[in-house]
Amino acid sequence: MTSGVWVWIAGALTLAIYSFLYKDNPFYKVAEYIFVGLSAGYWAVYLFWNFAYPNLFQPLFSEGNYWNIIPLALGFMMFTQLSRRSAWLVRFPLTFVLGVSLGLQLIAAVEGDVVPQLAGTFEPFSRGALFNTYDFWTSIGYIVLLVGVLSTLVYFFFSREHKGVFGGIARTGVFYLMIAFGASFGYTVMARVSLLFGRVHFIFHDWLHIIR
Amino acid sequence: MSVFEKIQNLDRRIIFVTVALAVILPLFFPLKLPVDITAPVQQLYDVIEDLPEGSVVLISIDYDPSGAPELDPATWSVMRHCFSRNHKIFVMGLWATGVPLGMRALETVGAGEYNKEYGIDYVDFGYIPGGAIALVNLGRDVHDVCREDVYGTAVDEIPMMKSIKSADAFGLVLSMSMGVPGSDQWILYYHARYRGNLATAQTAIGAPKYYQYLQTGQLVGLIGGMKGAAEYERLVNKYGLATIGMDSQSIAHLLIIAFIVLGNVIYWMEKRRKN
Repeated sequence: MTSGVWVWIAGALTLAIYSFLYKDNPFYKVAEYIFVGLSAGYWAVYLFWNFAYPNLFQPLFSEGNYWNIIPLALGFMMFTQLSRRSAWLVRFPLTFVLGVSLGLQLIAAVEGDVVPQLAGTFEPFSRGALFNTYDFWTSIGYIVLLVGVLSTLVYFFFSREHKGVFGGIARTGVFYLMIAFGASFGYTVMARVSLLFGRVHFIFHDWLHIIR
Repeated sequence: MSVFEKIQNLDRRIIFVTVALAVILPLFFPLKLPVDITAPVQQLYDVIEDLPEGSVVLISIDYDPSGAPELDPATWSVMRHCFSRNHKIFVMGLWATGVPLGMRALETVGAGEYNKEYGIDYVDFGYIPGGAIALVNLGRDVHDVCREDVYGTAVDEIPMMKSIKSADAFGLVLSMSMGVPGSDQWILYYHARYRGNLATAQTAIGAPKYYQYLQTGQLVGLIGGMKGAAEYERLVNKYGLATIGMDSQSIAHLLIIAFIVLGNVIYWMEKRRKN
């Protein structure tokens, strides 16, 4: 019974949101405000009890891990920008966050992206692997990939005018970019239709029980 | 006003209605259009098939209810495959709002369909806060990051966790992801350090980006959107929401292609007429 009530509420809110497609109206506004308010409340409570409490407050106050005073102090410093006199203190937590993020992301970008992607692009061309280790169509694929990488990089090189041979290579890069954008657009359509399908299936299956 | 001008000034709500009909009607009149298996999905299936019996598969629920129509079918299908091969499943998530989705999938598939036992065959650690930093630590010391499961049981009291200490314990890591934190963090922060088999299931909007990681071997498989999920449903021979949805997908795509062609034809004809 309880879940039935929630299904009805979810169904009504779904229709209220979709009513915006006709025109802006009070039902849509109510659903929108409920969503924003619920999200803010849900996240505040969830993050406190699942993030701040077990990682900061519980070790500090229950287990006597006094090292946690440092993140606690840094956290409070984030609020010092609310006052003009103490706003300079916010630099300390921001510097800490920036330093940690930079250190983590630099290594991750090099180890996880730059090196493997470069290796993946050029490795098939090493030691005569092309058309030997790899079959004909896979080898053609690697050539197409290399041409795409180089020509797209040329397109984004703006220190030289895109004319002549250089311009031709840059235009090839544009074709690759267009194909990539087209693929992304196609997938985006699929994602949006999936969302619509999810709601439609909910309405006709879970709510109205019209389809099995 | 010419026909072309009328179509150019068409009320967009008519387009909304036609798209809605394209999605709704196949639900009532299924076309059962064929779903071909693509290589990235087949690769993931083969990896799970080839894992020794009893391997631990980590499934990270990195999505929320808005990604459920695409990622729930993929999650459920992969779980069915793992349980049918007697693999153990370790569930966690980088999205707080994904926790109920993971629990529902495990209860329905693990306990419901395969009679698997919690703590022995599968375990759920729910939301793991910290994103990238949590993943860096997870590979080094699982017990340090996952101290309590989603029901509040200490990690040392869970039988399945006795043999799971670090990244080496996982035969496959699978991120069901719809954004950040998600597959990016698994690839850049986890896989770059600890290697092993990593795969992903993506909402369609994010899928194109991850093909590059397949080519380099950083990913061993990729389920892209509802289409990928439908493929996996076919592979495990258990048809569900994704397979049902593919009829709607196909009709809606055909309609949108028709709109694009029509729009361009009218644009060019108008341009020609004005010249």
